[in-house]
Amino acid sequence: MCLSKVSLVKLLSVGLIAIASLMLTISAQASEKVYGKFPVTLKGYSGSKTNSVSYTGQIARHVLHDSLKKLAAKGNGKPNPKLKSLMMSYYSSKDAGRAIIAPKTKGSFVVKQTLVDQISKKKNLSGKTYKGTISGMPNNMTGPELVTFWIDKASSANKGVDSRNGYNYPQLISKFIMGAVFYNQAVDNYLDEKLSATKKPNNKPYKKGAAYTGKEHSWDEAFGYYGVPAHGLSFSGKQLYLIAKQKPEGFSIADFNGDGKIDLYKEMMFAPAYYAASYDKSNKTTYGKNISNAFLDGRRLISSAQGEILSDAQRSQLRKYAAIIEKNWQKTLAESVFKYAGSVYKDLKKINASMADEKDKTKKAEKAYIKHWGELKGFSLSLQTGRAKLGGDTAVRLNRLIGFGPVMPNSSQVVDIDSNGNYVKDQSSGIEEYMLHMLKVQKLMIDKFNVKARKNDQLASLDQMIKKLGDSSSAEND
Amino acid sequence: MIVDWFYHEYLQHLIESLVDPKKRVSFGYLIFAAMIGLAWSAFMSRHSWRYGLSQGIRKLFGKRVLFSQSARADYKLLLLNHGFLLLVAPFFLSKVALTTSLFFLLHEVLPSGSAYFSSMPFWTVSVIYTLFLFVLDDFSRYVVHAALHRIPFLWAFHKIHHTAETLSPLTVYRTHPIEAVVFSFRSIIVQASCIALFVFIFGEKVDLVTIYGVNVLLFVFNLSGSNLRHSHIPISYGRILERIFISPAQHQIHHSIMRCHHGKNFGAALSVWDYLFGSLHLSEKNTHLTFGIKNRSKRGSHNLFTLYVQPFVEASREVKILFRKLEEIKKDIINVT
Repeated sequence: MCLSKVSLVKLLSVGLIAIASLMLTISAQASEKVYGKFPVTLKGYSGSKTNSVSYTGQIARHVLHDSLKKLAAKGNGKPNPKLKSLMMSYYSSKDAGRAIIAPKTKGSFVVKQTLVDQISKKKNLSGKTYKGTISGMPNNMTGPELVTFWIDKASSANKGVDSRNGYNYPQLISKFIMGAVFYNQAVDNYLDEKLSATKKPNNKPYKKGAAYTGKEHSWDEAFGYYGVPAHGLSFSGKQLYLIAKQKPEGFSIADFNGDGKIDLYKEMMFAPAYYAASYDKSNKTTYGKNISNAFLDGRRLISSAQGEILSDAQRSQLRKYAAIIEKNWQKTLAESVFKYAGSVYKDLKKINASMADEKDKTKKAEKAYIKHWGELKGFSLSLQTGRAKLGGDTAVRLNRLIGFGPVMPNSSQVVDIDSNGNYVKDQSSGIEEYMLHMLKVQKLMIDKFNVKARKNDQLASLDQMIKKLGDSSSAEND
Repeated sequence: MIVDWFYHEYLQHLIESLVDPKKRVSFGYLIFAAMIGLAWSAFMSRHSWRYGLSQGIRKLFGKRVLFSQSARADYKLLLLNHGFLLLVAPFFLSKVALTTSLFFLLHEVLPSGSAYFSSMPFWTVSVIYTLFLFVLDDFSRYVVHAALHRIPFLWAFHKIHHTAETLSPLTVYRTHPIEAVVFSFRSIIVQASCIALFVFIFGEKVDLVTIYGVNVLLFVFNLSGSNLRHSHIPISYGRILERIFISPAQHQIHHSIMRCHHGKNFGAALSVWDYLFGSLHLSEKNTHLTFGIKNRSKRGSHNLFTLYVQPFVEASREVKILFRKLEEIKKDIINVT
């Protein structure tokens, strides 16, 4: 068969067009799942910006949180005012020039920014911490008071750990801030009050001179607190996990613009999204996917209003998206409580089983126990910082089961904090009883939040065996 | 909606239960039972094996057995009860809830006993668990079965099963719905207690030894012709073995109308319970058995309405008698004091 020159040109043209169309389709599909850019819709905006998306302040707070967690583990076991002051500067001051302590460049995972100010200036965490009283700890402290109390304790603890009383401050501070700042600000502020008709309307700028409307920016700020990369909405749980852990394989996934550096503002994963992804990795849940989709759908809806005030129907739809975000975020926290209650149970089992002469083994198990307890306690308090109070007596039961401190191997447990900030201890009913409490915490998370990923499930063997024996309803006689 | 339920729930579940090796009356077991029954008839026949085989075929598949009025009632009850159980099962006590509650209760009562034997090898724990579950399940069947015979209120319902005059494997489903509920509760309680206890003592290592997903012991019991207990083939195990395992012939004695056979052989797989509690009756050679209930009006004994309603009438009568007796006792106490 012989093709003429004209036919060959025609054939090549058709082929090229087909390839170009395919590439356009792929790129369109990819951009469909990117949070931004969204055009400026604000009526009367005369500035030069073409993108209305902005959540730099939230990412700066993620970085402050990550850095604070690192600093909390720097103590040498003696009172250290300098360290305390440094930690407070990351928590409550708005100082310029604060270095990013975490996340930093790790091997081939190169991070673009080195200073918090390169993301956003004059940001702190204390101003955004849940102001209600924390009933899961003594003395009716507010959220900021509790974090400040822990910062003080962390600064004088050895690597942030008080092994006598059983507190791991980096974990307590970090996990609590995940709820008291990120979750609370997103679901109780930006996705709640600021979605009302009167607050931050869509036909006015969020603040004077801004390129975004009230509703656009409220929504973006909530998105920022979730902490997922803007282009990572369609990534699998596993891919997101690789980014959060700064794995070399995660770098190519995270580096969306291909500049060889990870922009913390747009390309990095932070704690709330990381935990959602870690549960989604099991394929039993879709928390991260649900949250990301709801954020994207909500933002599209706001953009589609073209800078006009949102109708009741539009706001009602927006509230539906907000409800999806809130529900899935709450479940993520409940999954974390479930997971660490299981870890604590396993640690206690190891402590119980280790012999008196196996000091190293026991010490290792105790270290893990204190760490996991800190994560459990932090997440359980976070779960209580949402928009609405937990139904029924859930919070009371959760706080009573976990207590103010872990039950130590000698059965002692912190039961109060005196006026000087010293822990008051008493004898508890023992670690076996406390193990039962952990099982009850897991059961509570199943009953109240219907958690599905169920990592470290200590009741799983019961469940599996029940399934194995099959259906009991039968009319078989003898 | 009803049509949808019928196809997707009822029919599907019914077909599944016929192939599910966890159910006694599934095809595989039935085929094995038929082979055992025919082999027994052929080789134990006092005449030629051919004659024995033909007798076996007649006893298992004969028109008078499979299409008798009694057997037809069995089939109808099977089909109706199946639907009834599907509808009421969601309201049963949750096995998960009961297991978890018992597990927590054990932790509270014996806090230091948790996972006490967790260092024991996996296979040992699994063997103990499988055996324990089988024995406990069988014992509970004995207790419930004996109670169904000895408590007049319960007997009113269990009697339905004993009105069968011809026995086929499907007679196992000739049950009043109330009795089916009793049996379901028994199963839930036994399984929940067993699981909770074993996970509490042995930790996460507990697993069931299974064949095709069925407890290996139950599988062997069903494969070895358990279905022949409801048949007209009197397989016996001999005087020693029949004190340990219930033979089909022994269960047929349980269905006999002869007075001396009443209240005997309540066991399901094991006869040790009957042996221990004095209700054992060994099989007898050359005894012709008639099945059913004596003095019961023939008319209506296989009528569905009667089978479903009559037990309620009799049970309410029993309750009245009980109350009357209680009143009399109360009066006697008052008179004495």
